[in-house]
Amino acid sequence: MIHVKNISKIYGKKEAAFSALKDVDFAIPEGSTVAIIGRSGSGKSTLMHIMSGLDHPTRGQILIDGEILHEMKARKMDKFRADQMSFIFQSFFVEANQTCYQNVALPLEIAKTKRRGRKHRVHEALKKVELSDKIHQKAANLSGGQKQRLAIARAIVNEPKLIFADEPTGNLDTVTGDHITELLFGLNKEIGCTLVIVTHDPEMAERCQIQIRLKDGKIESTTGLTQNVKKAKKTAKKPAQKPAKKTSTKGKK
Amino acid sequence: MYITDIIRRSGRSLRQAKARTILTALAIAVGTFALTLTLAASNGAQAFVDNIIADNFDPTELLVAKDETLFGGGDVSKPQEYDESFGDFASSAGAAVQIKRLTSKDVNKIKQVPGIESVRIELDINLEFVTRPGGKNDSKKYVATAQAFNPSKNPDLLAGSVPKPLNNRQVLIPEGFLEPLGFASAEQAINQPITLAVRKPFDPDSLKFNPKTMELEEDKSIEKNKKENFTVVGVMKKASTAQPGTELYMFIGSADALRLNDIATKDTDNYRKYLSASARVSDGNDPAKLKTVQDELVNRGFVALSVKDTQEFLTQIIDVLRYIVAGFGAIAVIASLFGIINTMYISVLQRTREIGLMKALGMHKRDIGRLFRFEAAWIGFLGGVMGSAGAYGLGTLLNPTISKALQLEEGEVFLIFRLPEIAILVGLLMLVAIIAGLLPSRKAAKLDPIEALRTE
Repeated sequence: MIHVKNISKIYGKKEAAFSALKDVDFAIPEGSTVAIIGRSGSGKSTLMHIMSGLDHPTRGQILIDGEILHEMKARKMDKFRADQMSFIFQSFFVEANQTCYQNVALPLEIAKTKRRGRKHRVHEALKKVELSDKIHQKAANLSGGQKQRLAIARAIVNEPKLIFADEPTGNLDTVTGDHITELLFGLNKEIGCTLVIVTHDPEMAERCQIQIRLKDGKIESTTGLTQNVKKAKKTAKKPAQKPAKKTSTKGKK
Repeated sequence: MYITDIIRRSGRSLRQAKARTILTALAIAVGTFALTLTLAASNGAQAFVDNIIADNFDPTELLVAKDETLFGGGDVSKPQEYDESFGDFASSAGAAVQIKRLTSKDVNKIKQVPGIESVRIELDINLEFVTRPGGKNDSKKYVATAQAFNPSKNPDLLAGSVPKPLNNRQVLIPEGFLEPLGFASAEQAINQPITLAVRKPFDPDSLKFNPKTMELEEDKSIEKNKKENFTVVGVMKKASTAQPGTELYMFIGSADALRLNDIATKDTDNYRKYLSASARVSDGNDPAKLKTVQDELVNRGFVALSVKDTQEFLTQIIDVLRYIVAGFGAIAVIASLFGIINTMYISVLQRTREIGLMKALGMHKRDIGRLFRFEAAWIGFLGGVMGSAGAYGLGTLLNPTISKALQLEEGEVFLIFRLPEIAILVGLLMLVAIIAGLLPSRKAAKLDPIEALRTE
């Protein structure tokens, strides 16, 4: 359960101040697929950065399973990210000079997974994206689609609860892009992780259970935020009541 | 992240930029090369000095004198006050100075210092000449110096043996005198007599007035030199570790030395006055005991030098040279540090995205910093190993040639490489490299992941 609670983000000060996000508020249940849609400059990337704890909101808070993300100490936040989150990027960000194995093993190393278990998990992850035969090849030798599959393997190897995908098909042709889309939604069902996709591809957004459309930093409209979600919102409020008050006073300052 | 994983990742990223890594490491290698050779050369020089000391001095003895100028102390640039009791004038570097000498009374005083076992007067007797009676080269006479033999010494002998102590009228001769004295081999010289002569002081009674020429004339019937026959008991091998200037010394027993000295100095200011004496300290191998006795001697107005002091005196020049070369090596290392800093900055810039990704995946700031510090350490390690291995290789290759050129004895080498020393040097270089990597690694650790991951 992720609750995005009244998030605002303002860059700059006084006259130069610019609101990237204005009172963005929604909640998504675990295991769902969420599309954050909007034109460039609509604040969708900023929202993703704040949701993943890479950026700090000016006001509001992110509640993940009742915990306030931005109140965590740096080390705890790092550990939280290492254990529970992962990322897929438009430009893949795989290390071209490293082998597929080394690329996929990185999150396991960061999360301090015991060395004995690593090999098996890397093999499993590569199998899921059908790259088992490339395990000892350098990432530089892969095609664009294969690189993104490698990035997906890296994203799922640690069995995270939450995967952020920033325009995952943006650098790929339609056929390859469709293939990657299939893979992502298939894995979402198989692993049961929450998938947050930032995209401006309406087709991809269409396939997500929840769509959040942003315009100029505000939620323009949402689809799929059902009663079920609203109920979840209520239950999430209870354990988070005290810290919620804290931050709201902070926000007024 | 586990340290081992960080070390492996940092090593891997260096391998990916091989040329850059090796070039940066080479800069350090140059400094390391110089430092390793300096270390090896000073080890060799130290070993050489130690050998000289071991062959010429007894560590349980203290060298005692009255005048500190003998051991390089004192100030000879200022006029010295005249003292009648000082004895003869000796000249140091051309200027006349008076050397305070030990008298028999002083020797007794030294003997009374608690902890001193025995005192042996150090005597260098300038012989008038040495010759071989009845030999082929009978007429040939050579200048020589005789010294009272120190029984604790063990000279290498070509032939014969060394009775300890040397008996009266026994002499050890150096290899160099064999041919001049007409001996075909060292064995042939054993048990043969040679003649040592000392000049007797001028005796006014030997002058006679010649009424014919109205001049004083020497009485030719009075012998000017005192000649004594000695038996050769041993022939000493020429040692590369001989105290410089003593290669041609002959050694005679202490009693003979004292007697010859008395003959040579009778009726002069130097009669029964000695430059220095060696005092053996009981349990002198214990540095604390040696020091106590040394301090006591100084308290009683003597100058006392332990073997260690002598060693330091001898190593002083070596030390200066060592510091100069080591200084240049250190400068080279420091210069190469800027190379490391530069390389590391480039590495951080090149891997901005990777750093951003690692941070996004939850890698701690500290671990990112470590990743780059280890990378710097690897460069330091590589440079250190390359430099010291190069120095070791070259040194081992050149050692025989250098040893030959310096006429060192067999088994003695100019360059001595010690592995633990090299390991410490490489370790220090790694530490210094890490310090050089501090700024770039800080930059990496502070990198904002959002900026780093912004799509180009």
